[in-house]
Amino acid sequence: MIEVKNFTKKYGDFTAVDDLSLSIGTGEIFGFIGPNGAGKSTTIRFLATLLRPTSGEGRICGHSVVQDPMAVRRVIGFMPDDFGVYDGMKVWEFLDFFAVAYEIPRVQRKQIIGKVLELLDLTKKRDDYVNGLSKGMKQRLCLAKTLVHDPPVLILDEPASGLDPRARLEMKALLTTLGEMDKTILVSSHILSELADFCTMIGIIERGKMLASGTINEIQRKIQSHRVLKIDIAGEDLDSAAQLLRSNPHVRSVERFDQTLTCEFSGEDSDKSRLLGALIAQGVPVSSFAEQELSLEEVFMMITNGVVS
Amino acid sequence: MLFRDNPVLARELLVNLRANRSFWLQFLYVLGLGTLVFMAWPNSESGGNQISSGAAQSLFDLFFFGQFFLVALVTPAFAAGSISGEKERKTYELLLASPLKPSTILVGKLLSSLTYLILLIISTLPLMILCFLLGGILLSEIVRAYLILILAAGTFGLISVACSSYFRRTSSALVVSYLVILPIALACVAMARTRDAQLRDFVSIAVLPPWCLAIWSLVVVLVGHRLLHPPDVGSEGKEVVDEEEEMKHAIGVVIDRDLFPDKLFAPAKRTDLMPDGTNPVLDKELRSEIFSQGTLMLRLVIQVSMFLSIPLMAVQLFFRPDWAGYYMAYVILFNMLVGPVFSSGSITLERERKTLSLLLTTLLQPGQIVLAKLLAALRVSTALTFLLTEQMLLAYVLVEELRGRFWTLLVFLAILVVTCLMTTSVGLLCSALSRRTSTAMVLTYLSLLVLFAAPVAGGQFLANFTGTTEDQLTALQITSPFAAAFSVPLPQHTEALSYQVEVKTQAVPIIPGTGLPLWAGYLIFNPLLALILFGLTYLCFRWRWWRAAEAV
Repeated sequence: MIEVKNFTKKYGDFTAVDDLSLSIGTGEIFGFIGPNGAGKSTTIRFLATLLRPTSGEGRICGHSVVQDPMAVRRVIGFMPDDFGVYDGMKVWEFLDFFAVAYEIPRVQRKQIIGKVLELLDLTKKRDDYVNGLSKGMKQRLCLAKTLVHDPPVLILDEPASGLDPRARLEMKALLTTLGEMDKTILVSSHILSELADFCTMIGIIERGKMLASGTINEIQRKIQSHRVLKIDIAGEDLDSAAQLLRSNPHVRSVERFDQTLTCEFSGEDSDKSRLLGALIAQGVPVSSFAEQELSLEEVFMMITNGVVS
Repeated sequence: MLFRDNPVLARELLVNLRANRSFWLQFLYVLGLGTLVFMAWPNSESGGNQISSGAAQSLFDLFFFGQFFLVALVTPAFAAGSISGEKERKTYELLLASPLKPSTILVGKLLSSLTYLILLIISTLPLMILCFLLGGILLSEIVRAYLILILAAGTFGLISVACSSYFRRTSSALVVSYLVILPIALACVAMARTRDAQLRDFVSIAVLPPWCLAIWSLVVVLVGHRLLHPPDVGSEGKEVVDEEEEMKHAIGVVIDRDLFPDKLFAPAKRTDLMPDGTNPVLDKELRSEIFSQGTLMLRLVIQVSMFLSIPLMAVQLFFRPDWAGYYMAYVILFNMLVGPVFSSGSITLERERKTLSLLLTTLLQPGQIVLAKLLAALRVSTALTFLLTEQMLLAYVLVEELRGRFWTLLVFLAILVVTCLMTTSVGLLCSALSRRTSTAMVLTYLSLLVLFAAPVAGGQFLANFTGTTEDQLTALQITSPFAAAFSVPLPQHTEALSYQVEVKTQAVPIIPGTGLPLWAGYLIFNPLLALILFGLTYLCFRWRWWRAAEAV
């Protein structure tokens, strides 16, 4: 559905995005994560046909972003990170404006506007002036605008930025609903946990380079060249247990703290179970044997060094 | 604190004067004026180093009036954005919340916008002294001229800063400043040109300074109060302008969208969805955005222009119908001032308000967008300008001399329509070329000066000091609606027989090689020029913004 190949964007000497490639399948919700200034918005603007690439190519639903921007605009709904609204317009007029701009005939417009207002819970605000809306309402209105032509692909740049916690939750719920409507969504954020719950894939970008992309588990696995195992021993003889662990070829290091041995482990799952078997066969009183789960934030912080921000 | 260590002044001067272009602009300015003096310098072969006092006087006039108009035109361009610019950049509240006194802010803003202009004026002093050496001018006249220039810069600057503090947008502040300053400037010029030396002295010594002082004190008090207790900062909710509520408190002109002629420039808001096939951009511009900044600016524009038109109409249409060209010049000047307000922000405002990326990702074609912008701006500017033509209509019905030449009214109206088209097209092109509305607006005014006024003013100089022929002059003036309006043949006025319809008419300048009178040339040439400008705007918009921009 969305394909980016070797996208590079330079501003003079500064490289905003460096040789970025990604691929998003139909129905996926792709979370695009990176610190401020990492190149998320540049990539998104390129996909939204608003930015000329220095080199590289992008395709949405098979249409080239550079060669055929009109066809791309027809299939995407774009929400910029920083946008304004027109003055002196009411909510329904604003949506009508965009509906006409997307060539929707009048007979359908009334129904569509009612529907998106309802979906985004803006029905009560129908006759309010758009420039008088609060930030959260404006974000919703903009999301409503991206939906009027019912595009199969949504490109949303930081839809939750600047919102209060409740509005953030509501935005999350909305995106989940949209995902259930079988839309392909590219959504960016600089907060990983915000996206992790409902994204089917994530991509982590820093300083213009894609550091990792895939499902959250894949990424976790990819970045953990060493898994971390925590083994609690019931008895006193921790030293022989540590000795035993060290002799295993997949174990890199072993640390001892209290009754717990923490070891870095580079093997597969089958190696892990063999290790446990070996420990028990040697009579080590293992009371607990578990892989330490890294939280998403820990993964994120491990990948990005925070150099940009 | 007021002058030394004024942080506002220091910042602005640093930003303005450290750019290379301020040096180059000054250099070119002095070079240009130097060239003028050089061309007007007496020929050594014709003997002596003196020129006739008349020539020296006209050189002095050129310097004084030229610079006076420069002050009147450029001061608002520098000063009208001083406070509204802070509002647009959203630094206004930061500035107000600082411990700076309102007077410090005001002085900083005023001086920083005037410093460069005063620098320009003073740098021409050596040239002026050179003219003094030619004889024919008194030193006291030169001193007085420069004092008046600086006084004018201060007064116009303060008026512009005041407008800037009252309006949220620089474009509104700019046009209202021009409207207020223009009549003052014209009155000053009329006074300076009077032959009565005693009256001139009296005015320049006893009238001007106290009046300026009064204006200064008034503005300082008003603006100081506004800066101390700002009524125009705060929540986003305040950005909504409730037209009906505003109209209840409006003084003077009230705009009613349902009535003629107001509905010509402000059609009523829609109550239901747009019909199919509507150009949404055009609809949005006319029905929603026209009063987005409130109606104050428009009401002021209509009031001031109508108020000025009354004495002008009395003199130029009824007492001296042969001066109808001058009334036309007033209407054209009005359009020159007001037209760009609606066109030069067309594209830049979309960028500044951050709505351009929303607009560009729709299915609207660039042609649709640019055409809608052109039509909306053209409609508003034409409707407002034609409000001033009802006086002409009246005169053509009532005044016998004019009634006999009714076709000239049609020519005048045609000239106005073409002028509206030109001001709008130029504004739109500048808007597509610039990144900021204020830049686009100043660029538009400059371009219009070059197209409209320079051929007339420059023509005078060329005719006086070089061997340019009448034919060449006429050809040069083809872009100027002023020249076109003055070329329309009107009955000559003769004191004794003013009640008779005079058969004889003034000589009409003919464009060489075509046999067309100048006004006809203007009517044919300029729509074509407007078409070319529109084409350029389209291309510029398409390549710069619509087709994957560099950065929206």
